[in-house]
Amino acid sequence: MLGRLRMDVDKAIEHYDDLTEKVFSDKKLWGDGNFKATKLKEIIKSAVKDVTGDSESSLMESEEAGFTRTLVCHRYYAFAS
Amino acid sequence: MSANIPTLFRTYQSRETHIECTIWEAARATSAAPTFFKRIEIGRGKQPFIDGGLGHNNPSLLVLDEAKRLFTTRQIGCLVSIGTGQGEIISIQKPGLFQQVIPTNVIGALRSMATDCEKTHEEVLGRFESLPNTYFRLNVEHGLQDIRLSEWEKLTDVEAHTAQYMRKREVEEKLSLLAAAIRDSDTRGRLAIAQLGMTKSSHEIIL
Repeated sequence: MLGRLRMDVDKAIEHYDDLTEKVFSDKKLWGDGNFKATKLKEIIKSAVKDVTGDSESSLMESEEAGFTRTLVCHRYYAFAS
Repeated sequence: MSANIPTLFRTYQSRETHIECTIWEAARATSAAPTFFKRIEIGRGKQPFIDGGLGHNNPSLLVLDEAKRLFTTRQIGCLVSIGTGQGEIISIQKPGLFQQVIPTNVIGALRSMATDCEKTHEEVLGRFESLPNTYFRLNVEHGLQDIRLSEWEKLTDVEAHTAQYMRKREVEEKLSLLAAAIRDSDTRGRLAIAQLGMTKSSHEIIL
């Protein structure tokens, strides 16, 4: 939110508050995970659309976009078959 | 689980392999913590992404390595690391309702997550030993360890604990040094990033 979407801190907190309430107040009754991933996806996409105008904006930015470089880290688990 | 490889989603071109994806996919993949959300498959190879919350919870060393690759000769300004306040997991060890709900392996994972963050912090401290006022770690020490990610109704408590932490004398001092470090980062560089040492692999660390 701060890096790629360049929100200011107040705006990011506002979005985070909104996101956690919407996502975590809706518990799943069955299936993988306790909360609805589709709900999370929908809210993230609407935040992206709010800022960039396109919910499918790519993560990669053009060189001209500025000097802010952002990375998010994820640890990938490969399951042994 | 047979392998755990950290994947970095970048907003910029890099010589490293990268995953082409949208902003929402990256956000969704990095929030796919187990027991919270189901996995997501993205990229050309349709890699499954799960477990956003386990491992590399303190990415300081990854960031240092990345900075070294990007700006080899540039002088370092400062490194600011902000924790999530999950430094102590002791409360989870207490028997109670929580333990009946959360499987033991998740409790173990949470515990190792906190240790992982602290270890990384110690490691980074070591690297910046000769560079005072360059590395700053902020982490709310008390109050947040009982609050789970999904407890959105407790966000006001998070705010209160954070405000209390920020008002502590030593934290106030740290913050003013930190503000000065950011403000003067163009002029104060004394060491090129490359000189800070690099992580060879997750198991082998050069000090």
